[in-house]
Amino acid sequence: MRQPQFIRSNTFHWALMVSGVFAVFVLVLFGFIYWQIDDYLTARSDRVITLEIEGISSLSPERRLQAIDEKLRQDPRGVQLAAIFAADGHRITGNIEGLPAGLRIDAAAQAADIVKINGNGPEHQIIRAIARHMRNGDVLVLGRNVDEAREISHVVGQALGLGLLPAFLLCLLAGAWLSVRAQKRVEEVNQRVQRIIAGDLRERLPHRNIDEPFSKLAGIVNGMLDEMETLIHALAGVGNDIAHDLRTPLTRARITLERGRTNATNLEQLQAVADKALAGIDQSLAIITALLRLAEIENSRRSASFANVPLHDMLREVCDIYEPIAENKNITLQVAATHRLTVPGDRDLLIEAVANLVDNAIKFTPEGGKVDIELLRGGAETIVRVTDTGSGVSEQEREAVLRRFYRSDKIRNTPGVGLGLNLVAAIVKLHGFRLAIHPGPGCRVEIICPDRERAKQPAPPAKEQPAS
Amino acid sequence: MAKVLLIEDDSETAEEITAELVDRGFEVEWSANGIDGLDKARSSRPDAMIVDRLLPGMDGLMVIEALRKDQVRTPVLVLSALGEVDDRVRGLRMGGDDYLTKPFAVVELVARIEALLRRPAESRETVLRVGPLELDLIERTAKRGDRVIELLPREFRLLEYMMQRSDQLLTRAMLLEEVWNYKFVPATNLVDVHMGRLRHKVDGPDEAPMIHNVRGAGFILRAVS
Repeated sequence: MRQPQFIRSNTFHWALMVSGVFAVFVLVLFGFIYWQIDDYLTARSDRVITLEIEGISSLSPERRLQAIDEKLRQDPRGVQLAAIFAADGHRITGNIEGLPAGLRIDAAAQAADIVKINGNGPEHQIIRAIARHMRNGDVLVLGRNVDEAREISHVVGQALGLGLLPAFLLCLLAGAWLSVRAQKRVEEVNQRVQRIIAGDLRERLPHRNIDEPFSKLAGIVNGMLDEMETLIHALAGVGNDIAHDLRTPLTRARITLERGRTNATNLEQLQAVADKALAGIDQSLAIITALLRLAEIENSRRSASFANVPLHDMLREVCDIYEPIAENKNITLQVAATHRLTVPGDRDLLIEAVANLVDNAIKFTPEGGKVDIELLRGGAETIVRVTDTGSGVSEQEREAVLRRFYRSDKIRNTPGVGLGLNLVAAIVKLHGFRLAIHPGPGCRVEIICPDRERAKQPAPPAKEQPAS
Repeated sequence: MAKVLLIEDDSETAEEITAELVDRGFEVEWSANGIDGLDKARSSRPDAMIVDRLLPGMDGLMVIEALRKDQVRTPVLVLSALGEVDDRVRGLRMGGDDYLTKPFAVVELVARIEALLRRPAESRETVLRVGPLELDLIERTAKRGDRVIELLPREFRLLEYMMQRSDQLLTRAMLLEEVWNYKFVPATNLVDVHMGRLRHKVDGPDEAPMIHNVRGAGFILRAVS
């Protein structure tokens, strides 16, 4: 037969164990109480009969008989036992049938097995008794029935039984209830998780706003799910973007080849067609290369082989390379780097980052505009700033670029921001620097390099950080 | 005829490279794994080698190290996936060798092999001459015939590089790496702009052109015939 599920649950087992331990504890406690009471009552009886025997034995034989009769008469509960036996062992008076067998005479009070005589006939009893030789040779025996103690312990036992059983049951019930509740929540969580696994990314775990471990855990998992949902959507978006970007030049190449095959009449025309098709394929390859490069930078760890890169020299170099391009577009390209500043990093990667920024700036600045490269110090930071007089980046685009998954938006199709900026962001992140993009007319992009001591500390998640 | 040893485990890639190199007049020997490749490199003494980074049996870089230990100085072009370009691969260029990341254009591969085969000899010459073109490395002056050419420092560097490798196809990537020390391909056609300016200065309006653009490949500096 299958047990109900809650009985098999861990919580229930714990409850069972706890109630078991509790029961044992209560039993030991009551045992101790019983033992203490018994001990106390016996000691008291012993004291009483010892005092009495001293008193009675000091009387004359006649007064002794009187005292014993008196004593037995004034005993409504019937716990008193007393007798005088002659030297030959026969009973002179009292309610004990014969001199008890194992009773040591002239010793301290002890347990004795006797037969009591009363109106209902002889009755076997175990009592506390004491015996003394009198001066005339008689033996005086005094005793006291201590069944009292047993009665008390019986009462105590009953109380215990009455208390213990409900307590035990309560424990079991609480255990069962807790385990059923836990089981229910696990089942609920399981159902929702199954839905998430099945693809419903918007599903969340049940969460009550109270300070309880289950709710806390659900809160943590929900936070993780939020992040994952964002990432998965972003990834899907990236996939679409890449597919689109790759398809465009490939489609163009295909059409070119198709039409060339039908229309070209001589080698020259065919070569022109091939060149055009190759250009399309090269563009696709360039996109793939850029994506691989991005992945390479993102996956590399901050290298221990970082060296101090002199930024002023590097910026001049970038300017030198881009000057003819700017000149062709009638754009003024200037470097303002008065301080000789260095940052720890990979020179090749940093030059790639700055070159990308300058490349973008020149590309999206109209003719007659201006592009400035500046090297600044601010607080405990070294800042490389590239400013242009182009149309700038709108607030929305800025958000898109600075999102944690910065390839997320369709930024590669947005004028002003190319895949190059993603590379810049990846390089900046690798170095533990920050990228700041300021919107408005004329774009201002900054690579902020905190000083080394600062850079070691985890940076607070500022809005300007593309990633943490 | 220059002999090239190709060590590449992917037979399709190997066939393509071989076909292209044979078309260009090279003699090609192919080996599909590192151990066999090392044997062939020792026995047949090729003029240049193309070695894939990831090889069954023996890593491509280990093959090169083993050869260098035997004092075999054959120039090597290493083919590496983009993700596997580490400091060891980057170091190849310092040692006079070269590397190329996959995917690559075959033109690029051939240009680099030719560059390796025709490494400019260590020369004490302080004046470079190609046809009517003359470059004084000490005075930092350039002349075409009697005409003095005014060059900016970056243009001088570019012309010097090209004159050391006249009649050789120089791809954009090679120029970026060697002249500007750029390790990546920028979005803008930087090289074309720089080359355009240099050509404007070198080839006057009435003179026969010396700097030639090879479509889809790169540039060649030729002595005027």
